[in-house]
Amino acid sequence: MNPIAKRSARRRTMVAAALVLIVLAGFVVRLIDIQVVHADDHIADSQRTGNMTGSEKLWGTRGTIVDADGVVLASSTMRYDLAIDPALVGDIERTREDGTEYTQTWDEQADLIAQVSGTSADEIKRIVADTLEADPDARWAQLAKNLSTAQYQALRELELPYLVYDPKPSRTYPNGAVAGNLIGFESNDGDPLAGIELAQDSCLEAKDGEVTFAKGGADGIRIPGSEQVTPAVDGGQVQLTLDSDLQWYMEQMIAEETQNQRAVAGTVTVVDVQTGQIRAAAQYPSMDPNDVLASDPTYRGSLIFGTVFEPGSTFKPITAAMLLEEGVATPLSTTTAAGWEQFPNGARVGDSFQHPTYTYTLAGALIDSSNVALSKFGELLPDEKRYEWLKRFGIGGGAVVGFPGEENGWIRPASEWDNQTHYATTFGQAFTATIPQVVSAYQTIANGGVRVPLSLIESCTSPDGEVTTMDPGEPERILSEDTAEDVRLMLENVGFQGPVAEQIKVPGYSIAAKTGTAQKTDGNGRYKSGIYFTSIVGFAPAEDPQYVVMITLDEPKRVTSSAATAPALQKAMEYVLKDQRVLPGASEPETKLPKFK
Amino acid sequence: MSAANTAAVLRAAAPQPRPAPERTPGRRLHAVPAPAPRRRPKLGYAVVAFGGAVAIAVAQMGLSVLTTQSTYELAALNQERRTATLQAQELRDEVAGLSSPQHLASKAASLGMVIDASPSYLRLSDGAIVGEGEAAGTVSTVDAGERAAVGNALLERKPVATPVAGGSAEAGKKAAAADQGAQKAETEKAAAEKAAAELPPPLTEGLPSPTTR
Repeated sequence: MNPIAKRSARRRTMVAAALVLIVLAGFVVRLIDIQVVHADDHIADSQRTGNMTGSEKLWGTRGTIVDADGVVLASSTMRYDLAIDPALVGDIERTREDGTEYTQTWDEQADLIAQVSGTSADEIKRIVADTLEADPDARWAQLAKNLSTAQYQALRELELPYLVYDPKPSRTYPNGAVAGNLIGFESNDGDPLAGIELAQDSCLEAKDGEVTFAKGGADGIRIPGSEQVTPAVDGGQVQLTLDSDLQWYMEQMIAEETQNQRAVAGTVTVVDVQTGQIRAAAQYPSMDPNDVLASDPTYRGSLIFGTVFEPGSTFKPITAAMLLEEGVATPLSTTTAAGWEQFPNGARVGDSFQHPTYTYTLAGALIDSSNVALSKFGELLPDEKRYEWLKRFGIGGGAVVGFPGEENGWIRPASEWDNQTHYATTFGQAFTATIPQVVSAYQTIANGGVRVPLSLIESCTSPDGEVTTMDPGEPERILSEDTAEDVRLMLENVGFQGPVAEQIKVPGYSIAAKTGTAQKTDGNGRYKSGIYFTSIVGFAPAEDPQYVVMITLDEPKRVTSSAATAPALQKAMEYVLKDQRVLPGASEPETKLPKFK
Repeated sequence: MSAANTAAVLRAAAPQPRPAPERTPGRRLHAVPAPAPRRRPKLGYAVVAFGGAVAIAVAQMGLSVLTTQSTYELAALNQERRTATLQAQELRDEVAGLSSPQHLASKAASLGMVIDASPSYLRLSDGAIVGEGEAAGTVSTVDAGERAAVGNALLERKPVATPVAGGSAEAGKKAAAADQGAQKAETEKAAAEKAAAELPPPLTEGLPSPTTR
């Protein structure tokens, strides 16, 4: 080769090499641009458009509600809403296990879905047809709601590509209607609507978390190390003061008694005297929170916290207590009373039974529940003082426990009392009270004059184990010990000598109890005739009170008076004393107070 | 005169060591007689370096393969866990309500058990009987069986029918047949349970004895 050709060949090589280098440099620049300069944009773009990332919701578990012994009354489970994508509906080619092929028609598929979901096959076909008719491009229609996990599993096994499942946490109440009216319920969307579910939502509430991750495009497998987790926060546990076995017995018993007495409704309240804790709060008709719609809307809340009534004779012992505490009477003070009297101010008061003029002791007036005698005793204190005392016993003082929707009761100030009210307030009329207020008044007497605020909620335990005990408030001395003891003895004598003494007897125990009858308004400003709201409240063992029990029956028609509640009190007392292992003691009062002078 | 000054004087007087006089014999630079033989690079280093690189590459590939492998295992296990969770949920739903007092009471009532009135207590300290002291009656204070009034919708839940996927429109018929089969199985099960109930309890582990604390 000559030198010229040699030189030109070298030049060509140089030029080619330079071109290659330039192109290479271009690639390098572009690579750096893609991989370094705009890396974040491209990653974001891939996550937006490509099927490269996934996320999964981490459900927080709403806290449980348990009774005093830890028995679960409310817990969480998963429910599934079922939807369908009408655009994908059609016949499916399937292969049997033996290898033969067949066509599964839409009708057959609908049948299979219907067997599991409970919606009829015709209904499913109609939903799909209607949706397509309304919008031929529709991709979604609801088929069923609140399917169980078992149904969800069975549906998934059908391998139908157009079924869409939407899981959601839901509540389940293992004990059904036991304490159902107290526990409350949630809406379908998981919002607490009533009862403890609502009142303690801040403790029970859970927060959902999320995990996001990158995944392989082809197989959808998570790429290790790419997970980013926002953990779910579970809710706390609410412990109630209830005993679920006791609660069940009371619900069963009051249901039978309400039916026996042909009453409209009934309640039982059991309270521990020393601690003020509500051990049972039963009612009939009751509500099963597992199936709220099955119950009458009137009885979905708590009758115990939601009823106001004129307490009637159950408040006569409260009048006696204020007279003793003010020192104007003793259990053996006397007054004369006829079966019916007109007082100088024009008010007329009658007893519930005909009798000649008796010289009643204060104890006797309570035993016979004489309105006339109580009116005369009550007059020993001026209206203002009696008003103050009723307020101290919680009348018109607002909610006792703080249950959602708890009523307050109501009393008119003493300055507005008319002639009839002047007397009626001595025997529990002309003002209204709630069941917890009456129970609280008796708890005060049974506990030696010290009121311990009633409580239904024991504590809230956070998921990390921190226990917050609910503070029901400080105990407060309302009556002196001597007064409380005198009233306790009088009540024991009422239970022993009163008209329902035989019916409320529990062998081996002495029971203190007082009945009450409230007239009901007919809605036109008058009282209903011959139909009453009846109640009885008592404590046992009378010489060393452990439990206060109150029974109410609304409009009993077999026995219309407060005696209707006696069998229920007897059963309730007997069961409470047995269930709580209270040992038998004296079966009658150590001092039998005389009724008459 | 201070001691320090004395010391300085003494040091000054001491004989100083002198460097030995350097001798310079002839030329200072001269040609190397023979270049040092060039050492051959040791093969060992090359082998180690190359082998190391290969080992690293192989290890990385191996680890990568293992990671990928375990990712699939992880995915499979996750799937298994999800299935197990669902199953556990299903089973929990199935037994929910069975421990409720109304269910236990109605079962007890159907066995002829009653809720008796007041019990008697045996006082251990003196052996006295406290309470009514009468034999238990046969009448229950509440009727948890026939007049059961405390509802629980969980107990009324029907088991989920397993749909039968048939090749033709016989699916419905087959389901009905399966239902009948299930009912038959149930009757048989009930019969077996009844037979078991009539047998005395097995005594394989000795007589049952109450636990005392």
